[in-house]
Amino acid sequence: MSKRSNSPDAGRRNFLKGATIAGAAALATPVTANTTSSDPARVNAKAAAPGPRLAAIETLPPSKDPVSQSTSGGDFMVDVFKTLDIEYLSMNCASSFRGLHEAVLNHGGNTKPEILTCPHEEIAVHMAQGYAKIEGKPMAMICHGVVGLQHATMAMYNAWCDRVPVIVMGGNIIEANKRGPGAEWVHSAIDPGAIVRDFTKWDDQPTSLQHFAESAVRAYKVSMTPPMGPVMLSLDAELQENPISDAETLKIPKLSKVIPPQGDSAALAELAKMLVNAETPVIIVDRLARTPAGMVRLVELAETLQCAVIDNGGRMNFPSRHPLNMSFRRAIIKQADVIVAMEVNELWGSLNAFSDRIVRSSKPNYKPGAKVVTLGSRDLYLKSNYQDFGRYQEVDLTIGGDAEASLPTLIEQVKRLIDDGKKSAFEARGKKLAAAKLSAVEQAKSDATVGWDASPITTARLCAEVYGQIKDEDWSMVGTSIRLTWPHRLWNFEKPHQWNGVSGGAGVGYNLPASLGAALANKKHGRLTVSFGGDGDFMFAPGTLWTAAHHKIPMLYIVQNNRAYHQEYMYLQAMAARHGRGITNTATGITITDPNIDYATVARGFGVHGEGPIIDPNDLAPALKRAIAVVKSGQPALVDVVTDPR
Amino acid sequence: MRQITTRISKLIAVAAVAAAWAAAGLSTALAAGASGDAAKGKRVYIAVGCFMCHGRAGQGGAMNYPAPSIAKVEMPVESFVSFLREAPNDMPAYSANVLSDADAADIHAFLQSLPGRKPAKDFPLLNN
Repeated sequence: MSKRSNSPDAGRRNFLKGATIAGAAALATPVTANTTSSDPARVNAKAAAPGPRLAAIETLPPSKDPVSQSTSGGDFMVDVFKTLDIEYLSMNCASSFRGLHEAVLNHGGNTKPEILTCPHEEIAVHMAQGYAKIEGKPMAMICHGVVGLQHATMAMYNAWCDRVPVIVMGGNIIEANKRGPGAEWVHSAIDPGAIVRDFTKWDDQPTSLQHFAESAVRAYKVSMTPPMGPVMLSLDAELQENPISDAETLKIPKLSKVIPPQGDSAALAELAKMLVNAETPVIIVDRLARTPAGMVRLVELAETLQCAVIDNGGRMNFPSRHPLNMSFRRAIIKQADVIVAMEVNELWGSLNAFSDRIVRSSKPNYKPGAKVVTLGSRDLYLKSNYQDFGRYQEVDLTIGGDAEASLPTLIEQVKRLIDDGKKSAFEARGKKLAAAKLSAVEQAKSDATVGWDASPITTARLCAEVYGQIKDEDWSMVGTSIRLTWPHRLWNFEKPHQWNGVSGGAGVGYNLPASLGAALANKKHGRLTVSFGGDGDFMFAPGTLWTAAHHKIPMLYIVQNNRAYHQEYMYLQAMAARHGRGITNTATGITITDPNIDYATVARGFGVHGEGPIIDPNDLAPALKRAIAVVKSGQPALVDVVTDPR
Repeated sequence: MRQITTRISKLIAVAAVAAAWAAAGLSTALAAGASGDAAKGKRVYIAVGCFMCHGRAGQGGAMNYPAPSIAKVEMPVESFVSFLREAPNDMPAYSANVLSDADAADIHAFLQSLPGRKPAKDFPLLNN
């Protein structure tokens, strides 16, 4: 079927070539049958006098209704997925993609892609989001027409805000006269992509298999081009199900990925000059590291300059214990004379203090006259409706280009400008920063001792206990409900896979399924995946645990159970205090108590090892040991820890 | 994490105002220098939601910005009460209508009764 010249699977191609002839013949038959059945003479047969023509019709054998076919459009779609090396297809099964579903199993052998059964479309997309951030490439998900896509949308928005490639597909029945009554009408749309177009990079609804092949390859390419993001393809059920009629002309285009663009070399040279001549340069990063090379390059730049780096944590950008990591000493921004923001989505939030009071106000965090430079792909692609781009930040130099790709040139330019005098000054600056870092680490340790034996357990104690159990493993932390605080203050994050960022859109329900997707990607590398998730987040998609058990995806999932949607608890308290009419009545609608949820029992119900609820901090270590033993055997495990709020 | 310097400077400023008020005798309920009731303060601390941001052990936490550790608070009670009335940034300001001076003083006593921090070197798990 495929005419791609370098296709590795000539046998498959030959098989489909032969099968297509039979398929084409089968396709031709229903056309004849339809023509016959719509003959007005037949409709009026009982009223009309039986003439010779009508008599002939009535004596013909019944219309042929083919009952089998030897190829399907879905087979070709699977071949396209294999060409793109799509490893997984997450889904909640639905009739609008039954053709493709069957083809994945029986034509594709349920490998590349392998189906992941998910009890909700939001889980399926979030798994793809978490997977892509570890594996560095997209997987696919498919959902039911209309209603399935509606379920998927929030997760797609998270992936959009998080700049993560995800290939979303949805079933549809384009031709109205092909839809059966009832569900096939309410699950069809003339423009399925409309609902997600504001937060996808590109979408299409192919009307032929060749169109599908080209659009699938384009979708992959678009999703992987910085700034990366989700894409969507609507798949006509007829196209999936019916025999292939044009096998001899079908061709899977070659995928040629876009090389991420570097910033303008002259602009990078200007930036290098600013950095080398600065007294106190500060680098702020968020979603810089697209690949493992990103962190290595940033470390090289920072060490060359001996300058401060503030990591907003959107990716694993910079080692947590590096002497130049000032993420927990942000006051240094106030001293900076040059601030360089790399792949920072909302720079305004990093450079301004905002006061959430009756009269909302803000003021800059950085000193007047400081030069602000941005380097990133964010300015190259924006959409209007959803406001994830943040408040406009005034800057002195905007360099459009992928930061990770631009770093080698920037580093080279910086090195060219450093003489012995500069080198000596940089070393002195680096020593001061290293001392400040050491002080911050000691402060974190000291802070963690407060409430060490308390119950509910402090989040600091919880993080310290978990790290004590995993520090000698090849661990990967892929989710946190404790914000970017204790783990990043206490743990030694130093490898590219040890952190993969946050949700992006702050859509609750991300953490559990996205962690599982990341765990899936980690599985083949033999890494120990660990994630902290809130109880409120857990309850949005608890069925994720069944997927974890069913597909045997090892993951240590710790429910940080503070028995409330805690962020909202604080907001409501602030409103109550502001209005001055009672501050002891804010639990309603906020707390998750009465009854308390037993997450370990819930886990066991889904076939997952469950520990807890852990109330006494001294019970943590034994519970964690048991759970980690389960995870190391290849299974998921959950530990429910009743904690203090934050 | 972020804005911590701004927050600390505001804390200092508000504390200074509070101290001035106290010196002027504005906090009449506390003028006698009576100390609060720590046991009662613990109940109030939970009931009025201080724990939400600062933790049940006063260990601190975070809202949009860090909420500092307040175990073994060193601020004098008069300053502490005045601070609550004019709290900065994310922290709600608690008027006397919802939190009396006496309750605030009890909270202060509770916070002072907490163990607070200990030498980190004594905790092997914090030295990995």
